[in-house]
Amino acid sequence: MPEIEAKGQTIQLNEEGFMQNPEEWSEEAALALAKAEEDLDSLTAEHWSVIHYIREYYEEKKLAPMVRKVCKGSGLSLTRIFELFPSGPAKGACKLAGLPKPDGCV
Amino acid sequence: MPQSEKPEMTLEDKVKSLTSRDRERILEVFKASLTHEYAAFLQTCAHCGLCADSCHYYLTQKDPKSIPAFKLHQITKVYKKNFDLIGRKLPTLVGAEELSNELIEEWVDTLFGRCSLCGRCGINCTMGINIPYLIRTARGALAAVGLVPPGLQSTVDTAVEKGNNMGISQEDWLETVEWLEEELQKDVGDPEAKLPLDKSGARCMYTINPREAMFFPLSITAAGKIFYAAGEDWTFSSKNYDVTNYGLYNGDDEAAGIMSGRLVQALEELNCRELILAECGHGFNSNRWEAPEWLSRRYGFPVNSILQLIADYIRTGRIKLDPARNQKTVTLHDPCNLVRLGGIVEEQRFILRHSVKNLVEMYPNREKNYCCGGGGGQLAMTRFAERRLEVGRIKADQIKATGAEVVVTPCHNCIDQLMELNKHYKLNVEIKTVSEIVANALVIQD
Repeated sequence: MPEIEAKGQTIQLNEEGFMQNPEEWSEEAALALAKAEEDLDSLTAEHWSVIHYIREYYEEKKLAPMVRKVCKGSGLSLTRIFELFPSGPAKGACKLAGLPKPDGCV
Repeated sequence: MPQSEKPEMTLEDKVKSLTSRDRERILEVFKASLTHEYAAFLQTCAHCGLCADSCHYYLTQKDPKSIPAFKLHQITKVYKKNFDLIGRKLPTLVGAEELSNELIEEWVDTLFGRCSLCGRCGINCTMGINIPYLIRTARGALAAVGLVPPGLQSTVDTAVEKGNNMGISQEDWLETVEWLEEELQKDVGDPEAKLPLDKSGARCMYTINPREAMFFPLSITAAGKIFYAAGEDWTFSSKNYDVTNYGLYNGDDEAAGIMSGRLVQALEELNCRELILAECGHGFNSNRWEAPEWLSRRYGFPVNSILQLIADYIRTGRIKLDPARNQKTVTLHDPCNLVRLGGIVEEQRFILRHSVKNLVEMYPNREKNYCCGGGGGQLAMTRFAERRLEVGRIKADQIKATGAEVVVTPCHNCIDQLMELNKHYKLNVEIKTVSEIVANALVIQD
């Protein structure tokens, strides 16, 4: 099973690189996931606005937000979100925000 | 509900704790779903081995457990032990075997983890055995005692409980449609352009894969733009719009019937005359071919893929396309459920020849095409994710050999797997639906 290091702690990922225990998420974990899963060496303010919006939505509702909400909440266009997260909103942005894998064709 | 929130007993623990009553239940359900035709198939395999080279699992893994005849034999030996006279009296003579917990563990690994129900073995079988149907039937028997791998089962449960397989609330769906309608109006420069909802009496009712609304909405606006250009009289339902049906994959006919039945009910309530299915391979196979069986009823309306509709628009001049707008070299991936198992083979080619400058086929193609590896519920079963990428190597090699810059496929499930193959095998291609390509080539007429 893959794992990442954040704040000196080992974080377990599932076979698809999603966090096994979403409550272990931190900004350091997001950075480590960005490197491991999206091949990004650093995260910009735009990345963080998406990640923080998704994370806060998830912590409140225990659900991933619709991409419509992510655009509104982060103030970014759909095209920009796809550029920022090459694997898309689910396997890119939601994964970096420490969400579990959603159900469905993803 | 996210998987991590569910009270977890691992699949392995569940198998270990099965009682003789559970095993009887598996056999009862299996027997009840076998027709005479399929029971005959279970006596027919000649072990010729020709199927081995038809299967993307065996071709990539070279593991004998991935040979279709072996997978079928896992089922056959149990069938013989319980339902065949010689198998019951002289089991060793015919390789019959009792269904033990150890064998059930192997069933889970083989039937869920080494098959994408793509059907390629079936068309290469010298005896014409419908192997994927039998594997699905055995999956359904495992489903009856709760032995479906978690992500696949939770996708079915979410769809049954929430009305769509991603658990999208009605409020979120309506808000997304409204947003996409505004995007469409900007795109076509017409404030009257619509993505109609619950339009009673519309000619056709259109459906989507929930992942479009949730994460990848460009294909919804693309379809809306095509309908707009064709002057189509269509509508979405505000409640039942999910074209997917993971009951096809977990083998649970009752759940499958609930999902497909909702589309029928929505269409009838809205007095629409035709059900149009989004670009979704298994959704097409489920709703076009299987659902009338699950629901034990005849449909009084046609069920068609959006590809058939678009091809008609082109043939009858209802839309005008300029292929010069799609200059990049395009190749086409054939989704197994739509093409080999669904019979929609030439429409997508006809459409692409009218919408792109340069279309190159991958080889083999059409009904002989290889599965991308994402079908059969594989995308939902995290435990088999590594295998899924490994067996997708054939598809990756096929794509590389075309030299194409864009891979087009009329299936959102395939798209997700192709996106992963793109990353894993560094293919450096764009991946799009047919609707997106067509929408880009549309010449909007006044």
